[in-house]
Amino acid sequence: MATSPALARKRTNALIWVWTVFVLVAVYLPILCGALASFNKSRYFGFPIKVYATEWWQKTLDSIEIGMLVRNSIAIALLVTVISVVIATFGALAFARYDWKGRRLYQKLIILPIFFPQPVLGLALLLGFNAVGIQTSWLTAVFAHLVWIVPVVTLVIAIQVYGFDASLEEAAYDLGCTRTQVFREVTLPLLWPGIWSGMLFAFLLSWSNFPLSLYTAGADSTIPKWLYAKMVAGYTPMVPALGTMATLGAATLLLGGGLVMLLLRRRQPA
Amino acid sequence: MLQTLPAASTAVEAPRLPILQLVGVRKMFGGFAAVEGIDLDVREGEFLTIVGPSGSGKTTLLRMLAGMDTPSEGNITLRGELINDVPPNKRPTCLVFQSLALFPHKSVGENIAFALKVKGADAATRKKRALELMRIVRLPDNYHDKNVMKCSGGERQRVALARAFAYDPEVLFFDEPLSALDYKLKKALEKELKDLHRETGKTFIYITHSLEEAMVMSDRIGVMRAGRLVQVGTPEEIYGAPVDRFVSEFVGEVNTLKMKRVGQQWQGVDVPGTFTLGSPQNGAVLDEAFVVIRPEYMRFLAAGERADNQLKGTVYNEYSLGSRIQYQVRVGSKDAGEKVMLVELSRARALPPGASREVTIGWDAADAFTLGS
Repeated sequence: MATSPALARKRTNALIWVWTVFVLVAVYLPILCGALASFNKSRYFGFPIKVYATEWWQKTLDSIEIGMLVRNSIAIALLVTVISVVIATFGALAFARYDWKGRRLYQKLIILPIFFPQPVLGLALLLGFNAVGIQTSWLTAVFAHLVWIVPVVTLVIAIQVYGFDASLEEAAYDLGCTRTQVFREVTLPLLWPGIWSGMLFAFLLSWSNFPLSLYTAGADSTIPKWLYAKMVAGYTPMVPALGTMATLGAATLLLGGGLVMLLLRRRQPA
Repeated sequence: MLQTLPAASTAVEAPRLPILQLVGVRKMFGGFAAVEGIDLDVREGEFLTIVGPSGSGKTTLLRMLAGMDTPSEGNITLRGELINDVPPNKRPTCLVFQSLALFPHKSVGENIAFALKVKGADAATRKKRALELMRIVRLPDNYHDKNVMKCSGGERQRVALARAFAYDPEVLFFDEPLSALDYKLKKALEKELKDLHRETGKTFIYITHSLEEAMVMSDRIGVMRAGRLVQVGTPEEIYGAPVDRFVSEFVGEVNTLKMKRVGQQWQGVDVPGTFTLGSPQNGAVLDEAFVVIRPEYMRFLAAGERADNQLKGTVYNEYSLGSRIQYQVRVGSKDAGEKVMLVELSRARALPPGASREVTIGWDAADAFTLGS
């Protein structure tokens, strides 16, 4: 018996729904579990939760140690964001715009670090720092993050560069702009959406990076590093509490970033 | 046409100083000469169009004039001053790009006043000038704050034009800005551009692959082929006295017959027969020549009617071109050589529907060009 088209469409729709819900649950349920675990009054991890409490959140917020490592994470992420966006903006122009000898090799080499297993990259950098006698700290972690994040941000901005007509810059130059004016009046405003997404990428990738920080931050800790250390030994519900806070922070940044983009687009002439 | 307009004809013939001069200009890309041996004087205030098929080097030539490329050899002078290496932002010239290159993040007014902003003019001055220019290019005032990407194709052309005028250049360059528009709009803008040229008195250098566009707008036309300027002249000269077969074919449809000299006579190579030719261009003595006849100079001969040259043939196709009709006539014979000739007549003189399609076509030697190559 042949199924009617209407019935077939209904079944397709139902399957799409089931699949979508399954994916959403698979992605977000663990995060929700983490958040729930942080509201457990008991010191030990276990479901079902018998008594809910916010005391571990309070303890997390009050902890001097955690305050320090949050500051470390923010400092590293901010520094990585600024440096990587500057390098990646010019790198993306070299990558996607200008034709020069060695460009193809550069295009390949710059992408390569993205595919290195990060623990291997971290170890290699640690050995490198040791070899040249650099004491590892959060500053060396910044360097390590850059090795991995600059290529990512370069690609993000390069997409924007590919999307814009080079004759716009020539037109500005032809209308009397100096090279600096061309960059300020045309190149930068047109690359701005790409630069903005690149900034978000840089901050969030650095914020959540564990393997590179583990090897290269030395005695300084970061949020992911601390979460791992506490899971290995000395678990308290402060682990899921801080984890949830870090996730919320990232989500807020992402939403805020999206909102800024939206406002920037609105500001354009009608 | 020019004789009936004495004022215009004196304007055309009055000696005008060259504003731009090109001497032996050449541009190499690797081992390839994209542009070669260009000698050209551009007169102050003229509308000069460079035409040529794609790849003929016209864009390269324009980019050198605008300062975006530098010549490998030769000199470009503007009012006597060598400008080979002067960058575009230091030249009193402005280019309207094929893509128009309007700034998508700026409004119509901001686009137009861009050159003023670069020079440091304040917002009020910029707005005032932008509105003035918008009136000149016939854009409504309320477009000042409009998003330039929301303008139509024709409106964008006007914005690009106004933006170039705001720079107050002595010479304006155009890189096929009308090529992406539909036919009707293109025709209207061609006329407007010509009007603006007259009103502003600026020197315009325009490039296109469309000879029709060039004919409508230009004071003079330069035809480019394989990097060289083959001929420079008024539209009349280019159409009426092409220097070679390339120019003659580029400037509209033609009938071309190859001839060889036998004693004092010319004999057809493609089609059998003896022909009377006009004197070759620049009085060259030729053993082999091409005779080029435009379809509108061909006619059907009635019984007993004579022309300098005639051929028997069969009409096998006819097209209506609106006010004109074009006939395709097969002449010669299968054994001795066959050729399709085009005959174009006004509708009033068309072959009547019942008339025989076995015809005699003819032309006078004075109406044909005799070319060496």
